[in-house]
Amino acid sequence: MSLAGCIVNVIFAVIFAPLLDGLERKVKAKLQTRQGPPLVQTWFDLIKLFKRPSVTPSESIGWLFRLGPPIALASILTAFFFVPAVLPDSMRFWGDIIAFLYLMTLSTVAVTLGGFSSGNPYAQIGSHREVSLFMAEEFSLAFVIAALSVSVKSFTLSSLFPLPLKASALIGALLFAVLAYVSGARVPFDVSEAEPEIVEGPLIEYSGRQLALLKLSIYTKRLLLFTVFLNFFLRGSPAVRAIYYVIGLIVLSVIYSAIEASCGRFRTKDAVRFLKRFSVLGALCWLLALMGW
Amino acid sequence: MTPLAFIAFLFILAAVVGLFSGGKAMTKAVNLISALASIGVCYLGILGFTNNPPSVTLSLFEGGSGITGLLGSLTLKVTPLSAFFLLILGVLSFSASLYGVSYMDMYRRDMRLYNVSYPLFLLFMMLTLLTQNLLWFIIFWELMTLFSQFLVAFERSERAVKAAFKYFCMTKAGADFMLLAIVLTIIKTAGTADYSGISQVLPSYLIHHPAETYAIAIGMLVGLGVKAAVVPLHSWLPDAYMEAPSNVSTLLSGVMEKIPVYMMFVVFLRFLPLDKYLGLGIALIGTLTLFFGTMYALKQTDSKRLLAYHSIGQIGYVILALGAGLYLLSRGDALLGAVALAASLYHAINHATFKGLLFLTAGSVAYRTGSRDLNYLGGLAKSMPITAFTALIGALSIAGMPPLNGFVSKWMIYASTLPTPTVLSLFGAFALFISSVTTASFVKYFTTMFTRPPLERIEVKEVPPTMWVPQAILAFVCLAFGIYPKLPLGLISKALKSAGVSVPALKTFPGIVIPNTGNIEPLAIFVVLLAFGTAFLALTHSKVVLPVWTTGTRKPLSMRLPASSYYASFEEEFEEVYSLGEWAGKAISSIWRGTKRLAVLYEVRSYQADLMMTASAVALLIMVLILGGASL
Repeated sequence: MSLAGCIVNVIFAVIFAPLLDGLERKVKAKLQTRQGPPLVQTWFDLIKLFKRPSVTPSESIGWLFRLGPPIALASILTAFFFVPAVLPDSMRFWGDIIAFLYLMTLSTVAVTLGGFSSGNPYAQIGSHREVSLFMAEEFSLAFVIAALSVSVKSFTLSSLFPLPLKASALIGALLFAVLAYVSGARVPFDVSEAEPEIVEGPLIEYSGRQLALLKLSIYTKRLLLFTVFLNFFLRGSPAVRAIYYVIGLIVLSVIYSAIEASCGRFRTKDAVRFLKRFSVLGALCWLLALMGW
Repeated sequence: MTPLAFIAFLFILAAVVGLFSGGKAMTKAVNLISALASIGVCYLGILGFTNNPPSVTLSLFEGGSGITGLLGSLTLKVTPLSAFFLLILGVLSFSASLYGVSYMDMYRRDMRLYNVSYPLFLLFMMLTLLTQNLLWFIIFWELMTLFSQFLVAFERSERAVKAAFKYFCMTKAGADFMLLAIVLTIIKTAGTADYSGISQVLPSYLIHHPAETYAIAIGMLVGLGVKAAVVPLHSWLPDAYMEAPSNVSTLLSGVMEKIPVYMMFVVFLRFLPLDKYLGLGIALIGTLTLFFGTMYALKQTDSKRLLAYHSIGQIGYVILALGAGLYLLSRGDALLGAVALAASLYHAINHATFKGLLFLTAGSVAYRTGSRDLNYLGGLAKSMPITAFTALIGALSIAGMPPLNGFVSKWMIYASTLPTPTVLSLFGAFALFISSVTTASFVKYFTTMFTRPPLERIEVKEVPPTMWVPQAILAFVCLAFGIYPKLPLGLISKALKSAGVSVPALKTFPGIVIPNTGNIEPLAIFVVLLAFGTAFLALTHSKVVLPVWTTGTRKPLSMRLPASSYYASFEEEFEEVYSLGEWAGKAISSIWRGTKRLAVLYEVRSYQADLMMTASAVALLIMVLILGGASL
């Protein structure tokens, strides 16, 4: 049953995403020769947050501020319905890539609008940065999407899973992995949240349940990006696929957190410049796809 | 044909009534009569989709041949294609007229110029859409330009007059190009100017004569392109839209910018044979337009100027889809070609609704605060909640966020361009990127005006109902066309069929249009999840309100980024785009200086009669040679 399978996928994602974050914290701690929190620490944090009430800042635009977190989480979870995750079920339709992308955008917009409407100057700075980075990221991503869809000559996510063995498709997948790293707000690119400098940017005024929803949306977004990347390669029967999927998630998580632990933060300008230069690779990949390689 | 006569009568009545006095009551009457007539225009549009569309032929003067023969009878007919644009005109002009009832109170001066020009502007837009004759078309087109120019110059400040003059010069020059193309068309069709006559004769002739095809196409593209403000013919638009009163800007951007699109559909689908390179060229122009228009919009700090640049950007999407459709159809891809053309029309109506809405909100803010400066404004969502909410709907629609109408048309544009293994997919990629720039720009538009703390306290109240009701109507249309795309798509497929394109049955879900099979309603899931999320937060909502956290200092942090530096880091990195624009500006002004110098030279030399005679003779000789060569 397709819809039931999708719902299982989403539930799995919601449960597993904080665990993955716990793993990343552990890996980073080990790399920095610290003990590190237990794996379920992120879940404990979330449960604690869910138990606390939320505070509304007095200078905020209340309705917009409160709408931010649920929209951010709901759009990410809706996007989960379009990609096969632990079960190979997904809702597929022509052009679902675009629906997927715009749902991701919606979650970004919800967070930034929430930040802007909180009335806090740090949140504003963080939101500016988030949007600047988002534009630059989309500049590369547009080429990668064009390359992938030309390469498989189709416009459904399901036709990209798994990718055919073509140079353009495989390079496109690797470029996507880098962009997944960027849009997961990980360290060299976490300019919008930058704790030591602008104290979590758009999230600064959120507290309690609202903060929990936002945190959960960040974790599930990271998991979603991993899932899309893994789907480019996963094959086989459902059981084998599920095992490889979970192993793949853990491997990716370890790699990404290792990179994260060894980096400092970019300035916004440098991050934008990096992405602008990166888009040249995307354009070359598109050219490869156009030539049919 | 009584409805048409009645509508025309109402518009003329409004103009005549307005002529008598420039007082406020009269302006209100003019706006109300125009609003009433606009309902009639909507009715006319709906009639156009029925089996028996209204049409009328007026015999103006008897018989005659040549130009009098061509102009002798005026046929006004509602075709499904023009009915589609009439609906845009009707809805937008109703909203703008209703809005104008209170909004025009802002101006304390003699209103006669507005009172006369406004209804006539609406009337000639309608007639431009209704006429079925190319010569009458150009006449109505010029009259429409004329009256819109008066409206742009309405404030009579130096800037407004300058903007109107620039607008007039550019569109006039463009219309001359179009006139040349029309003359060529009439010569080639042996004296027919009727649309139906041309579409019977011309395509089969031109298919073997590519030179004439390109000549007509380029003439038409320049003429229509100036009005639609495609890059590089766009520079009049930001000034003109900024200086016009907001309800007029709504009409300029929402309706007048769509009339060239209508004409492009007529010319390229009915008059000219499908041509691969023409389609690709139009798509390229569209991509350049959307790219430069939106990138420049990102930098603006005046609310209406920002919206004006976005009008350029969004019309780029419409033209890109049109070009892509022509290209795909000429390659024999009937499905994607039809989807692209449908996307073009869909985006046209969407742009009319959300941009109309946004101009109205900018006007509302200007009405209450007297400012359009995004650096200064702020925090208005508390005092103007309805305007803020409708502006948010408009901003999210133009950014293409899922349950709203912008998403559906953008989705169709990407679906028809991105997966094609041609250069179109690159155009699609640019459109995708520019969509994110649009999002960023409207995050700026919305947050600078409505959410972030103001520079100083702004004490205002919500605008009167005659102003927020039109905003609410347009916001509702934005939402309805996003959730129920079946309605506009039904109209679009009828319109396209009348232009000779068969549209495949498109399956529609809330927010999604699908050419083949689909098995879900993605929006439903989103709504369910969102409902759970908000319900959860609402149930557990606490009443704790604390001041904003200021990192421990006692005083409030008076940090506030001005609108000009919102995305400074992005703009600095993409400096090349802007320096290209500057370079083009310098190049144009140096050409202008050169021309001036030549003119001075000519004036000096013109006293020497024999030299002038020789020069004219040489010029004549060259022209004869060219003409002789052309006839070989």
